[in-house]
Order: sequence, then structure tokens, then C-alpha cells
Amino acid sequence: MMAATSLQDERPARRTEADLALSVRGLRKLFVTARSQIVEALSDISFEVRQGEVVALLGPSGCGKSTLLRILAGLDTYDGGMIDWSLGEELNNAKRLRAATVFQQDSTLPWMNIANNLKVGMSGLRLSRAEQDERIRKYISIVGLSQFVEGFPHELSGGMRQRVSIARALATEPVLLLMDEPLSALDAQTRVVMQQELLRMWQRTASTVVYVTHDIAEALTLADRVIVMTCRPGRIKEICDVPFGRNRDVLDVRRRADFGALEVDLWKMIAEEVGDRLQ
Amino acid sequence: MTAIPLGEIEIGSAPFVAEVMRARRREKLRRMGFSIGFPLLLLAMWQAAASAGMIDVRFFPSPMRILKTSIETLQAPDERALIEAHLMATLSRLVLGYLLGAVLGIIVGVTMAVYMPFRASLAPIIYATFPTPKLAIFPLLIVIFGLGDASKAALVTLGVFYMTCINSLAGVQYANPIYQDVAQAFRVPASTRWFKIIIPSALPSIVTGLKLGIGQALILVVSAEFVSSNDGLGYFIWNSWQTLDISRMFMGLVIVSIVGGIAVVGGNALERYLIPWAKH
Repeated sequence: MMAATSLQDERPARRTEADLALSVRGLRKLFVTARSQIVEALSDISFEVRQGEVVALLGPSGCGKSTLLRILAGLDTYDGGMIDWSLGEELNNAKRLRAATVFQQDSTLPWMNIANNLKVGMSGLRLSRAEQDERIRKYISIVGLSQFVEGFPHELSGGMRQRVSIARALATEPVLLLMDEPLSALDAQTRVVMQQELLRMWQRTASTVVYVTHDIAEALTLADRVIVMTCRPGRIKEICDVPFGRNRDVLDVRRRADFGALEVDLWKMIAEEVGDRLQ
Repeated sequence: MTAIPLGEIEIGSAPFVAEVMRARRREKLRRMGFSIGFPLLLLAMWQAAASAGMIDVRFFPSPMRILKTSIETLQAPDERALIEAHLMATLSRLVLGYLLGAVLGIIVGVTMAVYMPFRASLAPIIYATFPTPKLAIFPLLIVIFGLGDASKAALVTLGVFYMTCINSLAGVQYANPIYQDVAQAFRVPASTRWFKIIIPSALPSIVTGLKLGIGQALILVVSAEFVSSNDGLGYFIWNSWQTLDISRMFMGLVIVSIVGGIAVVGGNALERYLIPWAKH
């Protein structure tokens, strides 16, 4: 956990700050149980997300990574520390959402067609009809569903519905794209295909992403930095750089020697956590 | 999951497709055979029992006898006009009461679900009065609304109100919370939240309430007409029984059943129209 703080300390203070999309400092989240006990779900969470960067939040189930993402999405409150969006402020004009979320479970609205699903996502942005239509066309094409734009979610497969959710989030052109295990409900083959798709989409849209996952290989495949979280309370244990560059291929990246080495390192960290918890 | 249009299947497999379609048709015919055949069998047994003198035809006239009475009645112009008047009297009470109850129930139910003070204030009253048989309140309604149509329509409104209110409340409360998360995470405006997210997500349950309300409405309107009326199908049935015109009584029952059947078919059509995404 020292690595996290030292990494921030070494950062040249002024120069990079303009490039930051989000800064989280000393974030804390408490729960009060039914027996009036206070449980610390998140403790002293500090990290920064640079523009155009993909950050993975990695940790075993129950370590608070989804809670952290819900806080960033504005779906949950926090009890200490601060979240500073102002660093990405110059990007944050009225035509973008501060953060858009892709959820783990299917979150398409079954009573409206795909185009209207995207429109609901953009409804808070006061865009002209023409601009809405243009964004729908663009982002539906990016997720490869152009021919289904008039179709309804129940006519699509699970993977296609998740692509609709991704398009809905992308269409708000968010300062930060939040993804909560978006591929975990898909089968293994579809997941690998979708990982490649995500890399391609992020590159086309220059997205800044916080990506929650419990899958080590997925974190390494997709992210520029991996934030490893501990359990009870959820703290940052380590922040690892992933030196593969943004222009990568899902299959090639897995063949690299340093991929294997990083995977083992991360696995050891996570195993410690799970082991500690089991004892 | 996209269905392959049959035209695109290669020619070689056409006999296979035809065989599958034939099997499906056979299966459907079999189902319909039972659904139509069994009621007919019951009628036939009734007819046989009446013909054989096993039941007293003064109280249980044979189905053919009832059919004959019905046809004769409907062929006599003044009789026919009388029955139409009874039918219209019942329908007007039914439709007015139903629409009023449904609109009120949905508005109150959805508002209760979304607005806590409203819910906390009204829920105890609604749940406490829900189990009361609505017909027991009918005398009170007569005191308030008088002996005319208003008290009967009000009784229907009351019954439909409870069904739609409680189902709308539950519909919003137990809708998948992911839809509310979407509304909040994407910071959608209030109007979008209400009309594109909250109400549609509760629609399956609201429609269930509307369908249950149909049954309630029919029970209540006929009961009210039994007790206090000079017209309507309930009065027609009750009056026929009191004058021991049993065939006419059965005719009244059949008309009520037909009205109910049409309403249920309409309810199912409404369901398919409003919630095409739900599995039926």
C-alpha cells in the first residue's frame, strides 16, 4: 500500500495536473450494520485518473471496488475525503456527462428501442435533436449494432445488450467512463471478443475509463494501470503500471513474457488477500 | 437470436420445415380440441341428464331449452329492447366506475411509491380497508351518493381503485432497481425519469392490476344490481329467479359471462400492446 502514496509523491505537481480527469483523496465509506456496528467499507482511498487513461480496480469480491465505482457514478454517498472533478473541468462542458456508467447486469430499458435507450442516456445534456441523432448513429456504429437501431433489447443476445449499454454510456461523451464488471455476465468466448472490442472503442473515442473487475488477466489486458484493493476495509494495496501501450491486441498481449510475470505478481497479491480473509 | 426467414432456408430442407410446421399445427389443434371439447362434453352431460329426467328441469332446464328461450327472447323486438337496456345500464356503470377507479388507482399508487410522505400517510388506511368486502360498504355509498347510478359506479370505482393502487405501488417498489440506477447515473431530467423509466418499469404490475380490476368490477356491479336496482343485468338475473323464470336467469348469466369474456380478451390485448417485451 506504500506504493500508492510514493507514486503520487513522485508525480511532478503542476505539469500533469492539467491532464488529470479525476482526483480522489482520502475517500472513506462507512456502513452501519443492523446491530449498530460501524463497518469501514473503504478506507483512505487516494488515486488519480489521467485523461485518456484506463485504470482497472482489481480485487476479490466484497473488497468495496463496486462501492467505489457507485460513489464515482453518483449512486452512493461517502463519509470522508474528497472527489475532485474540477481537474477535468475544462472538458466538462454542458454537452458531456461528468461520468457515465456501464453496469454489471443488463441495464437496457426493455420498453424502448435501441435508439431511444441511447436518447434516455443523453436526456440530461440538452442536445439538439440533430446532435442526438448524430451521436446515436455514431456510437451504435462503434459498437457494431447499426442494423438493430430500431430493434428492442429483448430481440438481442446478452452480449449485444451489453454493447447497447456501452454505446449509451459512450454517447454522453463522458469525462470518465465507469465500467462495473461489464463483461462478467458473458460467456468466456464472447468476453474475449468484447475485450478486443472495448480496446478498439476506447481508442476511437479517446475514453478515460475506470474499470472494475475481479479478473486479473482482464485487468492486464485492458488497463494502463491496475489498482489492487485489499479487503475489510477496502484499501489500495498497490498501483501497478501496465507497460503495453494503448494500441494493443487481446491475443498478442497475452503471449508477452511480462504479461505472465505481471499476472503472477498480481495473483500473489490477491491470493494474500483471499488467504487472509479465509483464516 | 435473429430468426431466419423461412424463405432463406435452402431448398433441400423445405420438407423438413413443412413437417415441423405440420407438427406445430397438430399440437395446436390438439390443445384447442381439449379446450373446446371438454366444455361441450359437460353441456352434453347436462343435456342428457335433463332428457333422462335425472335432474329437475324446472330448476335446471336443459341447455337446448335455455338456447331456445334465448333465441325467442332476442327475436321478440320489445324483449330484445328490454335486454339491451339492461345491458347498457350495466355497461355504463361498469365503464364509468372502472375508468375512474383505474385512473385514480394508478395515480395514487405510483405517487405513493415515489413520494414517502404520501406513502406513509396513506398506506395504513389503504391496507386496513383493503380486506373489507366492498359490498359491505355499499349501504354507506347509497347514503352518500343516493339510490341511482352514482352509488353503483362508486362501488365499482372503489373495487378497481384498490386493485390498481396496490399493484401500481408494488410495481414501482419492486421494479428492478437497475432502472432507477440508470436514471440517477445518467442524471436524466425529472420528466424522463417519470414517463420513460419509473412508469414503464412498473407497467407489467400496473397491467396486472387493471386485469384483476375487471373481475372485481363485474362482481361488484352485478352484486349492486342484485341488491338495489330496477335495471341492469344483475337486476335481470335476480328478477328472473324471483319469478322462477329459470331459463331467462341462465340467459342473464350467459350475457354476463360474455361481457366478462370480452373484457378479459381486451385486457390481454392491452397487455400485449403495452408490454410487448414481457413473456406471455
